[in-house]
Amino acid sequence: MPGERRTLRSSKETPSSTNGEKTRSNSQSSSSNKDKPVPTRAPSSKSKALPKKASTKETTGDKPQTNGTEPVENGVNGTEDIDMVDDGPEKVKLGKEGDDEMTVVVPPPKGSKLSGEPGKDEEGDVTMDNAEAAEAGGPDADRVDPKVKAVADIKANFLLLERAVAQFDARFTLRVLRSISSVRKHLSPDLLAQLIIETYTSTSPIAKTLLAAIGKENASIESADDSLEMEIDGQTKDKTQAGKTSSSPKEILPEIDTYLSVLVQIYLYDARAIEVGAKFSSNLIERLRTLNRRTLDALSARVYFYYSLFFEQLAPLPPSPTASVVSIRPHLLAALRTSVLRKDQDTRATVTTLLLRNYLSTSHITQADLLISHSEFPPAASNNQIARYLYYLGRIRAIQLSYTEAHEHLIGATRKSPATPSAGGFYQAASKLLVVVELLMGDIPDRAIFRQPSLEHALQPYLSLVQAVRVGKIEGFLNVVQTHNALFRRDGTYTLILRLRQNVIKTGIRMMSLSYAKISLRDICLKLDLESEQSAEYIVAKAIRDGVIEASIDHEHGYMKSKDVGDVYATREPGEAFHERIRACLGLHDESVKAMRYPMNQHRLELKNAQEARERERELAKEIVEGEMDDDDAGGDFEGM
Amino acid sequence: MATSALEKTLSQLQSTPPPSPQRISSLLTTAKKHLLHLSALLPSPTTPPPLLHLARQTLETGALLSIRLQDPDAFTRYFQQLLPFYELPSSSYQPADNGQRSKVTGLYLLLLLTRGDYAGFHTVLEGLEVEMKGGLEADRYIGYPVKLERWLMEGSYDRVWGATKKEGVPSEEFAVFSEVLINTIRGEIASCSEKAYPSLPIANAKNLLFLDSEGSVVDFAHIRGWVVKDGRIYFPLQQGEDVRNEKEILVASGQVIENTIGYARELETIV
Repeated sequence: MPGERRTLRSSKETPSSTNGEKTRSNSQSSSSNKDKPVPTRAPSSKSKALPKKASTKETTGDKPQTNGTEPVENGVNGTEDIDMVDDGPEKVKLGKEGDDEMTVVVPPPKGSKLSGEPGKDEEGDVTMDNAEAAEAGGPDADRVDPKVKAVADIKANFLLLERAVAQFDARFTLRVLRSISSVRKHLSPDLLAQLIIETYTSTSPIAKTLLAAIGKENASIESADDSLEMEIDGQTKDKTQAGKTSSSPKEILPEIDTYLSVLVQIYLYDARAIEVGAKFSSNLIERLRTLNRRTLDALSARVYFYYSLFFEQLAPLPPSPTASVVSIRPHLLAALRTSVLRKDQDTRATVTTLLLRNYLSTSHITQADLLISHSEFPPAASNNQIARYLYYLGRIRAIQLSYTEAHEHLIGATRKSPATPSAGGFYQAASKLLVVVELLMGDIPDRAIFRQPSLEHALQPYLSLVQAVRVGKIEGFLNVVQTHNALFRRDGTYTLILRLRQNVIKTGIRMMSLSYAKISLRDICLKLDLESEQSAEYIVAKAIRDGVIEASIDHEHGYMKSKDVGDVYATREPGEAFHERIRACLGLHDESVKAMRYPMNQHRLELKNAQEARERERELAKEIVEGEMDDDDAGGDFEGM
Repeated sequence: MATSALEKTLSQLQSTPPPSPQRISSLLTTAKKHLLHLSALLPSPTTPPPLLHLARQTLETGALLSIRLQDPDAFTRYFQQLLPFYELPSSSYQPADNGQRSKVTGLYLLLLLTRGDYAGFHTVLEGLEVEMKGGLEADRYIGYPVKLERWLMEGSYDRVWGATKKEGVPSEEFAVFSEVLINTIRGEIASCSEKAYPSLPIANAKNLLFLDSEGSVVDFAHIRGWVVKDGRIYFPLQQGEDVRNEKEILVASGQVIENTIGYARELETIV
């Protein structure tokens, strides 16, 4: 951040800067003032964010000027961010040096426009112009070719990334990542090649690897220009500028590199070019490891995700112990270690879930369990990662017979699972496991679970399973298991379901204990399809000991006598259930409070608001003092109500 | 040279009748030393397949012998050492007799079962399930502990008892665990009986607990603290239910007060 501020400052003093780094930041600042006059402009949120940024930069601009000799890479470190917040009060004093920038403490758009002007630099605003050209062409081109729109979107994302770096705000990066799904449909080698060529210089080694991955090594700048001319028609001015600037040397942010690489990864994945993708991803993470930038975290997490996805689909496939997923474990573990050391929450969360998935795919449960006990999952991870983590955790715990814990985790996973239809698979998988675990705990899952439209079809076998368990007939249960054998195996719930056998018996005994005051062991034996009366006696005895039923056995006469069932409401159970729910609600409230975001420098706005509010209050007080009769009016109103 | 020495030691170990226990342990030690010299104790990609095969055989023999010597810790160690060998791709060496593998694994499962480590049991089982594509119960050695676990869990103790008899056990190594298993189920049955029956004639108890004579029933009853009177066993009643109830109410009211105060505090922070 200091580097950023410094360069901006210096560029103001010496507008014709030659340093590449400075050029970049100039493009940044010029973009902000350029954004204003263009009528067909980015969404309002963007323009809202802009003045804030400009103001932060301007106001903090003075301080690091004297001591800031670090390169930009260091400036992006996490600690610098805190620095900036601390700078707040100091800034005000320093601002008295005479600049009128101090008016920009609370972000009014006017000030930012003003402050941005000196930094205007024709040469620097490369990407901005491109994006704007494309964006301006957006409405027209939208009808003609969605590709153009995709290109425009991607380029707009470059901007967001630059802004994320400049402001050190992960929100912009997240917005970029969110837009991937909409761009994804339009990705093609041509489009990617065009993008890459326009973004990089022809000699850039990164551009070469990217092009090689999509099989477009021979694409040259000229061909890209051609395609550009074809696609963005009628915008000659912008186009020529784009053509010109794309060949002009400039430095590309690693964030943009990575973003493009992620796009290439996605394209390769969608095109089922698994081998190429795996190789490309391996090289990519090698490069990523050398970069230590916090603004890259969310992107590199995504890179690891696809990296692991590629290897999962390489032959030999997971269940065999020689699967190729095994080979990436050292890399993932190394990535985990690095991310912990760098306090890289995104990568850490992603890699942890990937490793768990990896271990579970080859059913190395002990290793997965060890990983969980030896590593800590970052609580600040994104919702999706937490959902994944909880799912894997629930799975491991279910295998280890800690059903209560598993149940808790799986409930969390199903509740946190994203509601979009594209994530339906996860919700289904988690629900399936949850149903089985609930059965194992001796509960019967709610019928409503199976009525949800997204689950109804997928959970059909599980519904019949639940019905079989509920009735307590071993025969019916075995039938269901036999019929859906293959499906249960595919879901990885087969071994868990086999454990249900005892639950079926227990349920059967419970049903009998509830319906008969006294029943002979022979009848129990017949009803439960058990082999011998002796077996039945042991089983009933065990059920009594485990607290499944309240009964006693008369051995000489060979019958089971049920005890009177007590009133549930006389016990502590309702109170406990109530307490449980209240606790969940309170927890939810706490979490929502924690999840609130407080934008930087927002407190200044609040201070001002508070000031205003106090003034209002004073005025109000004055009014009340002045007109005492108002009180009577108010009282009358209330009576009327 | 070391290979031939290892082969010789191995053949000595596998000879019938088996050598004396002292001889076995010394032979095993030399065999492991040979393995170390050949750097084949842990499989690596460079190890030649015949040597892998030999190493695996040695370790398996060691595992089986340590079961016979009733040394479960040594057996667990051998099993852990064998695991990397079992994970090897089948292409790098042809397992001539896969029978040993399921035998050793089955024994390990049984060991976990007798120790009551059900979590470990299921964890191992889960891995096997995927690997063997569901042929678990069909396998004679692995199917045995799997069935035992199922019966233990549902409470068919008479079947477990039947399985621990001579004809039910798949091989003599498994018989080592029978004694432990019988003790386990006897303890289970006893604790079940305490809850399930008010009283029981000694003759019936003898059958229930799989004991040989009524005398041993009386002994067993004394150990568990049961009262034997007029040829019947009286189980200690869950005495003082009323007292406990009262205590419970006290605890419960304390809990309710505590909870309510907690809610009040939370509400205060919210409002």
